[in-house]
Amino acid sequence: MWIFVFIDLLNTNSYNMPQIKTFSLPQNIFSDARHFQLIALSSFLLYGYFLLDWKTDIFKYITLIFTALVTQMIAVYWVKGDYSSWKSAFISALGLCLLFKTDSLWICVLGAVLTIGSKFILRYKGKHIFNPTNFGIIITILLTNEAYISPGQWGNNLIFIGFLSLLGVQILLKVSRIETGLVFLGAFLLMEFARNILWLGWDFDFFIHQFTSGTLLLFSFFMITDPVTTPSNRTVRMIWAVFVAVLTYILLHFYFVNGAAVWALFFCSFLTPILDRFCKGDLFHWHADLRR
Amino acid sequence: MKKISILLLLCAIFPISEKVLAFCGFYVAQAGVNLFNESSQVIIVKDGTKMTVTMANDYKGDAKDFAMVVPVPVVLQKDDIRVKENYLFERFSAYSAPRLTEYYDENPCYPREMEERSLKVSATEKPSATKAGGSTGKKDLGVKVEAQYQVGEYDILILSANESSGLETWLTQNGYKIPAGAKEVLEPYIKAKLKFFVVKVDLKKQTELGYSYLRPIQIAYKSANYMLPIRLGMANSKGVQDLVIYTITKQGRTETTNYRTVRMSTDTDIPTFVKSIFGEFYKAAFQKKWLKEGKNAVFLEYAWDISTNNSMKCDPCASPPVSNNELIEAGVDWLNNEPNRLFFTRLHVRYDRDHFPQDLAFQETPNKERFQCRYVLHQPARGGLDCEAGKKYQQERLQRQAKELANLYELTGWNTNPQFETYRKAIEGVEVSSVEKSRLLPVKDPNPFRLSAERKMLTKDSTSKIVVASKDSTSQTAVASDSNSQVAENDTNTQETANTETPKTEAASSSTSWFTIIGTLIAAFLGTLAAGFLLRKKS
Repeated sequence: MWIFVFIDLLNTNSYNMPQIKTFSLPQNIFSDARHFQLIALSSFLLYGYFLLDWKTDIFKYITLIFTALVTQMIAVYWVKGDYSSWKSAFISALGLCLLFKTDSLWICVLGAVLTIGSKFILRYKGKHIFNPTNFGIIITILLTNEAYISPGQWGNNLIFIGFLSLLGVQILLKVSRIETGLVFLGAFLLMEFARNILWLGWDFDFFIHQFTSGTLLLFSFFMITDPVTTPSNRTVRMIWAVFVAVLTYILLHFYFVNGAAVWALFFCSFLTPILDRFCKGDLFHWHADLRR
Repeated sequence: MKKISILLLLCAIFPISEKVLAFCGFYVAQAGVNLFNESSQVIIVKDGTKMTVTMANDYKGDAKDFAMVVPVPVVLQKDDIRVKENYLFERFSAYSAPRLTEYYDENPCYPREMEERSLKVSATEKPSATKAGGSTGKKDLGVKVEAQYQVGEYDILILSANESSGLETWLTQNGYKIPAGAKEVLEPYIKAKLKFFVVKVDLKKQTELGYSYLRPIQIAYKSANYMLPIRLGMANSKGVQDLVIYTITKQGRTETTNYRTVRMSTDTDIPTFVKSIFGEFYKAAFQKKWLKEGKNAVFLEYAWDISTNNSMKCDPCASPPVSNNELIEAGVDWLNNEPNRLFFTRLHVRYDRDHFPQDLAFQETPNKERFQCRYVLHQPARGGLDCEAGKKYQQERLQRQAKELANLYELTGWNTNPQFETYRKAIEGVEVSSVEKSRLLPVKDPNPFRLSAERKMLTKDSTSKIVVASKDSTSQTAVASDSNSQVAENDTNTQETANTETPKTEAASSSTSWFTIIGTLIAAFLGTLAAGFLLRKKS
């Protein structure tokens, strides 16, 4: 029954409703994948806030989101851009809330400014070179040494993992980057399986524990698959994802880097413009559906 | 001029010191590590890649049967191995233990100076070590004795091996009792090219030195991998084990990267009767929190900047702060060069095989936020309260006490404790919000869902207590002995219900039930969303 109600809601035109702008909202919501991302990331933040004891960080979240939005608005005014891009800024800020940790509000401000700033400054042929959140986190860590990534903060709650994956897959289907996420996860999973189960001989739950880590899945579904910063060509994208997975594995097991995947993506981001130069693909637009 | 400056100085000091006193409350009790059975303690001092690990655990058997096997990343030199004294752990534990502070309400009718209060310190811990023992020998089993030392009363071997069965046979042949199931766990460490640090006691030497207990062992090595192997210890213990980890780092807090690090509850007002049973209270609070977080979290009990930058080393102090000498003993060697970089973290892990499939992996974060596990008592004002302000105070006090009781229930799940009942009856006439009232009434609970979840929690609580008691009944120490009988009574009451429940249902805690419900709802919503979306697209 639920389904029918929902379909009816989607087809608002079939109702003889007064043509008020708010009623056409559902159509817009589903035509832009960023709305999905906004909903998903906010719900993860709420989950963390209410169920994972993140309540003491509330001011940091407010600072991050506020600074990101203000920076975005200033930058858009500067370059006379599109004001609807606040959604992207909000998504980047939510990404920071979920992955970026520090105990100082000033570092939060710096992180948010770097994140949004990178979108306007570090561009190559209409694309960002770095995933903004990724760039913001890494550069803040390198500059201040006061920030960090907390890979253990999500725990291994299976229901949350399921929820995260479900939302993640939905969004990836929408932005047609599902293969990047799956190839990265698959490649990393294979290498870890070979190392921990086949070679070292740990029990299977050792492996399960590793792959139910919220941070890893969040990265796979929401960061490495950013349609604006991944290579444009599909095949190239898949090879690139494997490369990120290999680098993650090396950083994790040979250099004991925490949050290895985030670092790996940072280093692999340099490859994107080069790969795009040699292998052409379609440039991604958030409103692709609408344009068609 | 001089007089004025002295006067100004006094003015400056007085308000500050008074504020500090009023803010701190008074430290009255602490929950030591000895409350928990099967508890080991480890001090890790991390200076970049240089690690100094001091280990102590509560081995209670005969010293001749004692042996400990620890995977280490390199072959240790003799200078890297030291034997330390127990007091080091006593001091570290006492300094960072969960604490109880006490405030005295002022009588609003007869304001007067603060009452005299006493400072009680009760800190006792008995650290020592694990496993089963033997002697040395040689045979081609792929086992190589990399080094052999005598340090203090301990005989130490550093072994490397090619395969686990070889190592197992070697250890058995040489008189070490290896628990069943150890072989599987040894394998991954051997493959990862780790060495094995094997310790047993030289009884002669021990008598010579005059020790009747096992002293902690300290090892130092260089490794970029900040971790603590716990899997090997699970081979010979079926139940849960408690481990308290103290870390001293240069930057900031230590946290686990492969498990959640959760802060213990803190700064909560609790009823005054808890003062005499604080140890039991903390045990119950820890147990409840542990269940709530799904049994696979690591708990933060203390985090403090103890460097020269920070003049306040604790607030309030459960014991005098750890001294420089003690820090040096623990392995801190940068006190002269960088005395302003010292951060103390205390983590408490309760682990078992089912919930901790991986060793503990740590990271040193730049987070310098302080944290302490502190509970607060408010002693009611004494004397006549017949003035207008006094009546108002009484009303407020009763409401506060109702809240304290609700807090206690929330923290520990205690609601059948006789003292709890008495206290509840004493404040029953008070106007409290309906939510709080429902918490106060243990049996006629209006919310059946919550009640069943809590019941499960309670029964689980009691079963584990029973198991623990059968293993070792002597270590059930508490701050006050008279309260022990009541708690024991409480245990036997709930034991019957525990037996009727199947073990599977016990595992479900209230949070998991909530997760299930919320998760199902969200999944249903998303499913609907997806289906709706796809159908719409097709049409």
